[in-house]
Amino acid sequence: MKLNAKEVHLTGAALCRGIAIGTPFFFTVIEDILPEFTLSKQEIEQEILRYSRAVNFCKKDIEKLRAQLEKEGILEGAAILEAHLQIMQDPLITTEIEKEIRRTQKNSEYVFQTAIKKYEKKFNAIRDPLFRERFKDIQDLSRRILGYLRNSVRIILTEVPPGSVVFAHELTTSDVAEACPDNIVAFITETGGETSHAAIVAKAKGIPFVSNIKVETLDPSKIQRVVVDGRTGGIILNPTSETEAYYLDLQKKLSYYFSALQKAASLAAETIDGYRVVLSANIDTPEELSISKKYGASGVGLLRSEYALLTREGLPDEETQLALYLQVVNQMQDKHVVIRTFDVGGDKLLVNFPQDNEAQTFLGCRAIRFLLKEREIFKTQLRAILRSNVYGNVRVLFPMISALSELEEAKSIMNEVTEELQEQGIEIPYSIPIGCMIEVPSAAIIADLLAQQCDFLSIGTNDLVQYSMAVDRGNQHLHGMYTQTDPSVIRLIKLIATEANHYGIPVSVCGEVAADPRFTPLLLGLGIHELSVSSRHIPMIKHAIRSTRIVEASLLAEKVLSLSTAQEIMELLMKEYQKNVPEDCFYNC
Amino acid sequence: MKQVFQVHVRNSMGLHTRPATVIVKLLQDCKSNVLFTCKKETVNAKSILGILMLAATKNSKIIVTVDGGDAEETKVKLIEAFENKFWEELA
Repeated sequence: MKLNAKEVHLTGAALCRGIAIGTPFFFTVIEDILPEFTLSKQEIEQEILRYSRAVNFCKKDIEKLRAQLEKEGILEGAAILEAHLQIMQDPLITTEIEKEIRRTQKNSEYVFQTAIKKYEKKFNAIRDPLFRERFKDIQDLSRRILGYLRNSVRIILTEVPPGSVVFAHELTTSDVAEACPDNIVAFITETGGETSHAAIVAKAKGIPFVSNIKVETLDPSKIQRVVVDGRTGGIILNPTSETEAYYLDLQKKLSYYFSALQKAASLAAETIDGYRVVLSANIDTPEELSISKKYGASGVGLLRSEYALLTREGLPDEETQLALYLQVVNQMQDKHVVIRTFDVGGDKLLVNFPQDNEAQTFLGCRAIRFLLKEREIFKTQLRAILRSNVYGNVRVLFPMISALSELEEAKSIMNEVTEELQEQGIEIPYSIPIGCMIEVPSAAIIADLLAQQCDFLSIGTNDLVQYSMAVDRGNQHLHGMYTQTDPSVIRLIKLIATEANHYGIPVSVCGEVAADPRFTPLLLGLGIHELSVSSRHIPMIKHAIRSTRIVEASLLAEKVLSLSTAQEIMELLMKEYQKNVPEDCFYNC
Repeated sequence: MKQVFQVHVRNSMGLHTRPATVIVKLLQDCKSNVLFTCKKETVNAKSILGILMLAATKNSKIIVTVDGGDAEETKVKLIEAFENKFWEELA
């Protein structure tokens, strides 16, 4: 069914690097709850007509697909679709639904959905898995029918066929989290910024991601193949065979480069002139540890504790949390594990915790502010963290500290919890290192005060950029304004590093900046000792560290500090990177 | 005219999607009402989904109720289909 469609080039914002070639899959994200309304007597026949039209459209789709499979000699698939066609004519799908619309006088989406749920119940009750499985066919069809009724059905990304380039208006973190990299080769969306959590998760999975593409204006039926260049933000619809060959070759070069990096991953994280860097892993779940260990991570620099929580039903209790932390602590043995207390609020919604709209903003009640208000949640988590420290080298990190008083309050709650545990006779180590996440400019400015009151600092550059520039990182209208190389941000990092070094406490960077090898020499030159990145970035960052000379890095930092625009700084960093790591075709393009 | 009789599921897969499709197609032009009863569940035999919901495995017994003008010939057709394992495997 190859159409002679023209090659079309579009450019969006590159969120996650990488090259992908695949077939389009349009993911329409919508309300899970379909509307329910009552029809007037006059509307009923019209509604039935609307319903049967949707069923007919769906039948035509399947008939077309069936014929195509038959032509391609995929007879088994054709037979399944033949059965789907029969199901479409099933009285339970046709006359029964019509009867129900007449009887209940409700809209067809509602009646249909209710019927499907009833069938689902029946099928789920069947013991024989072979029969129970058949509900999938009905589900498949019902999605299609509902799609025609509403142009809007939520499909989950686990069900996307292999080799898909997913097009969507917007993707949530959980959408992306569900995605399997074997099936989904790239994401293309209309909205979403580089450091949106959806993009961060996509990066973690190594799925190229381009946003700022007007997905709604594309005609799904006219696109057969898509090339995605996540390095430049370019996408090519219906590439010619020459174009596709070019990108296939580029993919090969990239994978060769990556395998070379992986082979070198176990080498020490030190500069050419022997300056040692602590290179740790950011993790969301214990499952990610196997990769970070393989790449020789110095420790866990950031365990984002809320991620394991977001997918759970209800808030996890102390024992559940302890079990999770221990999974990490035990695997890391004596290596450090930094557990960040729940950073919820802002764009990371706590599904089980009802919040008003105000609370969901970045400037609202999130992270440490939320925890200081919800003491019981905070104390439960601190108990679990303190108890896990018996078995390893745990450090606790408070997110989004914006004033000294918050750190003091958090520390006093920590003392309370420690005393309670001791009174209960529960064994915990004498002390635990406490750190502040520096991601608010006010905290950066008083880095000296914070440094005197805690054991380490960790710079969260994503939020630091957002708050310094007053740019919502998820806002596509502000694309280009969210720049990590703005002189203000570089100066803040310099300030924090200088104060931490002055007071003799470690300082790390754990934002996206740390995972971009073009920034590595600059960060080292600014006086950063530790970088914490997603496990998969470790080989590349290690290579960048190993390609750097600390003396040159200091000179580079000085030069950067003398520049006055974000663009100049970015250009300098790119030029330096091209010079120092010319073999990288992932960042040099 | 009403016919009530029993059939045996003899094919190895039971009344799965394909056998169910065969039955539904067989009954396409049938004017009578046809019901299958198995394990106390009664369904419309002209509905694939209905038949699947019976989850009738091999050796299940099904009570068939045919009610209508062409009940006699429908009975013959159905028995033939069940006996021949829906022409899917060697009889």
